[in-house]
Amino acid sequence: MALSVVLLNGASFHGGCCRHKVLLSLLGPLLSNSKLYSSYRRPGAEPKKKLSWQNADFSFKKSIDHLKTQLSLLKKETQDYLGGPRAHALSQHLLEQTRVLWQFRSQEDLNKWVISSDVEIGGKSEVYIKLGRNNQAALLYGTLNTEAPRDGETKYSGYCSMRSRPAVGSFNRKKYYDWSNFNTLYLRVRGDGRPWMVNIYTDPYFSHQKDDLYSYFMFTRGGPYWEEIKIPFSKFFFSSRGRVQDNQHPVWLDKASVLTLGFTIGDKVNGPFQLEIDFIGLLNDRAHREEFAYETYDKN
Amino acid sequence: AKLIFTISLLLGTTITISSNHWIMAWAGLEINTLAILPMISKSHHPRAIEAATKYFLTQATASALVLFSSMTNAWYTGQWDITQLTHPTSCLILTSAIAMKLGLVPFHFWFPEVLQGSPLITGLLLSTMMKFPPITLLFMTSPSLNSTLLTWMALLSAALGGWMGLNQTQVRKILAFSSISHLGWMAIIITYNPKLTLLNFYLYALMTATVFLTLNSIKASKLSVLMTTWTKIPPLSATLLLTLLSLAGLPPLTGFLPKWLIIQELTKQNMAVAATMISLLSLLSLFFYLRLAYCATITL
Repeated sequence: MALSVVLLNGASFHGGCCRHKVLLSLLGPLLSNSKLYSSYRRPGAEPKKKLSWQNADFSFKKSIDHLKTQLSLLKKETQDYLGGPRAHALSQHLLEQTRVLWQFRSQEDLNKWVISSDVEIGGKSEVYIKLGRNNQAALLYGTLNTEAPRDGETKYSGYCSMRSRPAVGSFNRKKYYDWSNFNTLYLRVRGDGRPWMVNIYTDPYFSHQKDDLYSYFMFTRGGPYWEEIKIPFSKFFFSSRGRVQDNQHPVWLDKASVLTLGFTIGDKVNGPFQLEIDFIGLLNDRAHREEFAYETYDKN
Repeated sequence: AKLIFTISLLLGTTITISSNHWIMAWAGLEINTLAILPMISKSHHPRAIEAATKYFLTQATASALVLFSSMTNAWYTGQWDITQLTHPTSCLILTSAIAMKLGLVPFHFWFPEVLQGSPLITGLLLSTMMKFPPITLLFMTSPSLNSTLLTWMALLSAALGGWMGLNQTQVRKILAFSSISHLGWMAIIITYNPKLTLLNFYLYALMTATVFLTLNSIKASKLSVLMTTWTKIPPLSATLLLTLLSLAGLPPLTGFLPKWLIIQELTKQNMAVAATMISLLSLLSLFFYLRLAYCATITL
């Protein structure tokens, strides 16, 4: 579009006497060698990493190994498909009432999660994750700092979060989960009394939906005892780009594709925080009869 | 508002099946597509909107291809009569367009997700009423269609409909795959004896309507809910068993009749290999019908 504007300007100058100016304005984009996107970097944000194509390693042996790993994953997936949904017998799928999704017993369990904080917009919070004592839990700890970055446009700051990586199958295809048998999220955590927000992100089909999130709150006790928190899926409210929407709908769990679960702390209190998570699972709570906690407005 | 959409569906279907001119047929197909879109996306859930978008894109492409094939035929032969579609290129394009409309392999990818995102009654309309005009068009042009292509598509449909329905736990997706495999049976015989296609379609529509209406009255959308049918309406679970076995094509139930006649006709046309293959491939779908019937009636 910029090129068309330049051309139009050039066309309007053409009738007059400033022909060399026309030439310069037409050749401007070619001469300046600027990138086609903005190179503004927020203060405090890390400098641009190497672009992914610059990381390409054209080693033949590595690619053969990679292909072999993916093919073996594919073979395993085919064999699991023959066994039943999610490699277990159908009777297990029909009868199961609990399922453990993530538990933290080793470093590779930790690698399934990504931590982030407001450093990416220029803030000063810190967040770390490590395995707890005796490798029995994951410890998410750090310091929250609500000082807003001084870039003139950010008013609030101070958040830390931990999100799960979406599961991928063979050849980096997305794995789809079926959580429709369950209606409650079950977490065994030991917090420090601070409130957390649990977010569920479903893989969007449209790019308009890439910011939509289903969230609910998790209030921790802080005692020396572990607590088991149950959050029904009917309570999750729908928000997009951080704004709670008027049209609410329940989160559909049947094709919970590439669902990522996240924990965020952002309660505007400066200071250290700590959360130990033993496991995260699903529960089919038969006593919970609510379908959706918020009113859905029926449009005819 | 629902009355308008239902009447438009009836109008579109009637226009297509009673038309002699390709433009009228195309107009009827378009009216059908547009009328069912609000019914799919009634609940405004992102999954329903995704289903409606997928449906619209595939059906619009298919309608455009129908128009294109009729146009090329009109270019070559100078007339727009539906029964006089003689040019081979037009027949080829029409076959692929109708395959897209119906959900024959390799154009079947939209079908399970569209059925999953729509309510049960709309799913019923999608599986029965929306299939009727394209099958009518195939019926009217059947003398000049390419039987090899149709046989291949039919065999692949039976194979994929059976194979992919195996591990499904969502009932609507199972019905989508059953629809795909039944369409395979309908497509394989259309060039030899189109009346058998229509017989197969009518019986399939009757049986599928039964299954959908049963599922609607017990509000089952997943396999685990089907298992509690016996507590709600016990006679209904017994009839559901019989209907599912009939869909599977087991003698002495009605669903066996079209399969028998099709196999007989194929054998008479020296296509015994195709007949054997399609019968063997329906064993796969028999497996998931049996599993559905087992869950609904005999229970674990």
